[in-house]
Amino acid sequence: MTLLLHDLTPVHWAVAGAGIAVITLALLFLANKRLGLSTGFEDICSLALPIPYFQRKAVVSGRGWRLPFLLGLLLGGFLSALVGGGWSPTLALGMFDARLGLGVIGKLAWMFVGGLFIGFGTRLGNGCTSGHGIFGMSNLEGGSFATTLAFMAGGILTTNLIYRVIF
Amino acid sequence: MTLLYVVLGIAFGFVLSRSGAADYDFIQSMFLFTSFQLYGIIGTAVALTLPGLLLLKQYGKTVTGKPITIDLKPFNRGNVAGGVLFGIGWSIAGMCPGPILVNIGEGKLYAIAALGGALAGAALLGVLYPKLQGPLGLPRA
Repeated sequence: MTLLLHDLTPVHWAVAGAGIAVITLALLFLANKRLGLSTGFEDICSLALPIPYFQRKAVVSGRGWRLPFLLGLLLGGFLSALVGGGWSPTLALGMFDARLGLGVIGKLAWMFVGGLFIGFGTRLGNGCTSGHGIFGMSNLEGGSFATTLAFMAGGILTTNLIYRVIF
Repeated sequence: MTLLYVVLGIAFGFVLSRSGAADYDFIQSMFLFTSFQLYGIIGTAVALTLPGLLLLKQYGKTVTGKPITIDLKPFNRGNVAGGVLFGIGWSIAGMCPGPILVNIGEGKLYAIAALGGALAGAALLGVLYPKLQGPLGLPRA
């Protein structure tokens, strides 16, 4: 199975996993920061929304590292496309196009709704794949195991409903 | 320091992009159990980070000699409810938070819609937080 990006062969999972581990440990050893991406949504909200929830310490104190890190993620994706066959904008979405075929407006609406669940759910659950799945589980935090199981369950149910039942 | 965070982010983004972690089809195949790739990535990451964290916590200091302090996440009813909702979104969009940014960088325009939704969802949670706090046992904001 190849990537949607230029039909590239993905790097071996052990190599990718090792890369993630190195970056996670480097973030902690070099800067005493705990890897966690979803708070980044609150960091961005805090720039525009004056409500007290987004001005609390956990959000404001993290902006200094998380916003540059998010920028880095974007640049990393850009670099990956650039050296992997060239950067070009696209709306192609693999099996979604093949099986659901909702058209451009439908696809964008679908993605927006998916984003709503992601933004609301990660912040209600206080973390995502990086904060709970990688750091939390590696740090043997019981809550992170439970939360990771919960999001795997949500994903498995939804994908199977979409691709094995409905469409 | 800002440059360090950007550089680490670029490295992380590149790995997510080239491994399939930011790929819609690979995420669906993870949830359909038709590919091992994502389980291998997360499993390896945890298998290596776990002993790394033990060593770092034992050493106790950063590279500059400052103490390493790890804030633990509180566990409450919000975790499971939020987790399930996030999982639904992860399936629908075929991305989780980091990959949303990576995909925008790659040029996948629909990821911008996903980011818009994610910011709206996070904003909604912030606005509703005081009402949800009691019933779900969430920490004081």
